[in-house]
Amino acid sequence: MSQISRRQAMALLGALGFGATAAACAGPGGSTAPGGATGPAAPATGNVTGRVSFAHWRGEDKAVFDELIKRFAAMHDGVEVAQDISTSNDYNAQGLQKVRGAAIGDAFATFRGAQFKNFTEAGIYTELKNSKAVSNYQEGLLSAGKSGESQLGLPYQVVFPMPMANVDLFDKAGADIAPKDWDAFLGMCEKLASSGVVPISWPGGDVGNGGQLFNCMIANNAPVDDMCAQIEQGKLKCTDDWFIKMLNQYKQLVPYLQSNATGTAVEPAQNLFSQGKAAMLATGSYHIAAVRGLGATFPIELVFPNTSDGNGKYEGAYNATFILGVNAASKNQAAAAAWIDFLSEPENAGYYANQTAQHVSVKDVEYTNPDLKRLSPWLDKKTALAARFQFQNLDVRNAVEASATAVISGTSPEQAADAAQKIVDERL
Amino acid sequence: MSIHPGTASERRAPDTHTETGAKKRRRSPTRVNPALYLFPLPAVAIIAFFLVMPTLQAFQYAITDWNGFSAAFNYVGLDNFIRAFTKDSLFTNALTNNLKFVLLVVIAQTAFSLILALMLTKNSRGSILLRALFFFPTILSSVSVAFIWKFIYDPNFGLANAVLGTVGLDALQGSYLGNNAQALYWVAVTQVWFHAGQMMVVYIAGLQSIPRELYEAAEMDGAGKWQQFKSITWPFVAPATSIVVAYTTVQSFKAFDLILGIAGNPPKSSLDILSTRIYSTFANSEFGYAAAQSIIFMAMIALVTWLQRRLLRLTPKGE
Repeated sequence: MSQISRRQAMALLGALGFGATAAACAGPGGSTAPGGATGPAAPATGNVTGRVSFAHWRGEDKAVFDELIKRFAAMHDGVEVAQDISTSNDYNAQGLQKVRGAAIGDAFATFRGAQFKNFTEAGIYTELKNSKAVSNYQEGLLSAGKSGESQLGLPYQVVFPMPMANVDLFDKAGADIAPKDWDAFLGMCEKLASSGVVPISWPGGDVGNGGQLFNCMIANNAPVDDMCAQIEQGKLKCTDDWFIKMLNQYKQLVPYLQSNATGTAVEPAQNLFSQGKAAMLATGSYHIAAVRGLGATFPIELVFPNTSDGNGKYEGAYNATFILGVNAASKNQAAAAAWIDFLSEPENAGYYANQTAQHVSVKDVEYTNPDLKRLSPWLDKKTALAARFQFQNLDVRNAVEASATAVISGTSPEQAADAAQKIVDERL
Repeated sequence: MSIHPGTASERRAPDTHTETGAKKRRRSPTRVNPALYLFPLPAVAIIAFFLVMPTLQAFQYAITDWNGFSAAFNYVGLDNFIRAFTKDSLFTNALTNNLKFVLLVVIAQTAFSLILALMLTKNSRGSILLRALFFFPTILSSVSVAFIWKFIYDPNFGLANAVLGTVGLDALQGSYLGNNAQALYWVAVTQVWFHAGQMMVVYIAGLQSIPRELYEAAEMDGAGKWQQFKSITWPFVAPATSIVVAYTTVQSFKAFDLILGIAGNPPKSSLDILSTRIYSTFANSEFGYAAAQSIIFMAMIALVTWLQRRLLRLTPKGE
């Protein structure tokens, strides 16, 4: 074997290093986004067989999906569905990276708003406009999964991000459970407080859950429906009168929240409500199962903090979320699409809804869960699509919502609005 | 005068004994069997792939506006670095919080662990038990620690307020993490509780190396406890202090999991530190900007550690 000098060896290693550097500088992104210039295509057709990865973040629904997977597999020989579940935070932060290569997520779910937009721009969705599933949904609840003319995703769940109410405590206090304006809402809180309970349990220490109240507070205050998008674009400002008015209304809530509300995490807030110490839990209907799990047996209703003077446009707020899609990079699109079709059939959607205590956007679903039955009339009310998910920039969203938390911890509405607007301006 | 060959050979290295041996000695440092260079290749490959390449890529991303998933991006030069310091109050807020947190934890943890070590140096049964108790938090995962303390601090159901209420100190009950002015201090308390036991062990090792005779001599000379600490104990534990300070600094800069566990994601602005801010920026699809923040973060840790090493050249007397 011939011998080489140390200098030659160093040159060789240097060349390897240079190669690594060049590889590193090959450019971010790399792969071509699926979809192409012609826009998204429908999922491929073929035999419903092989392994389907279903990527989502709802670990609490795993058992329900397991049962649905069994039923789906019984209909198709040789098909297997595996759930790839992340936590919601991880899914928000890394979902796109995980799904884009289709190593997981032949079928997948996305959050409404920024994540749906990012997935759309990355060309990950197939076109579901002409799919069998679409016809099963309520037309008005599909908009969160649309991009231009395309129906890329199917918003599966319908949740109401409004305070849940303990009907027994309302009856005991003689409080009106459906206040028509802001004064009536405050009057209702006053009656509840006089009866010896905390009117509102609010998890101000948890940014995500604490922020749901914002959907209600902004709905009838803002001059337009796309108010959050316009704040982000600089067309509306946090320092505008309507926004300051909303922050002042937040300030008026302070006496009716539990003490130290801004330091309360979501679990203790749920406990206050479940134990009957608080009359309302200001998160949303998506917490019904958790509250029942904590032992709450009282009847639950929803209350809309109507900030209007009685002429408000909306009677409540809702969100269409858990948007189902089929991955454009999947090698098993036929089976993935069949799985999405299966979930969208009224019988299966009904099973999912009743077992998880979540309403769904699918038509003709029979709700047998007592809580869902009680809250079903909200599906027909004039409710605003949750505004906070219009924000595409998470820093802007957190800053704007934090202005409300700041007011509750004692900052003046004007100061809180200025601080939020500063962050918005920096990101324009 | 003749020299006995055996004597000469004892003085020389075997390969210098002959002409051939001398040639070999000249060649051996520069000419080696190339097969030998294959041995470090796996290590070089691993380092290149997992360390060098990602680092170089981070530098490359830092000068782009890449959003993390799009194939399209632009080179923006130093814009991301300029933006961090001039147009992003969330970043400067996180930087300020982080420096404050590091300072608080370094001072408190160093002092507390030294005091613990001084109290528990003796090998009595009680001391050994207490050492184990103080060391115990170190073996917990940071996420468990975060959740435990999150519930201790809860204003409605938490242990802290319950204890204060039980002893009649209701006036001192607080919102803890909900109070923006105090939140960082309470997380610093948790961080100290978490790691002080580990640092105590470092100090105990230093203290146990001090010869007992020195204290006996000092006592005979009439030196008080403070005088003994200043003249004997401190010079011996000073090197341990520089280890404790350096380790605590790096640890506090990177308290990501503790902050996220205790404050949730995203943490509120009063608890946002550099690592959580970088994470938020990545999650916000600003990959290029987040990479620039990471480089600033890395440079800051390197700078602070270097400064500490310069300023804290604490060595025992006589060395």
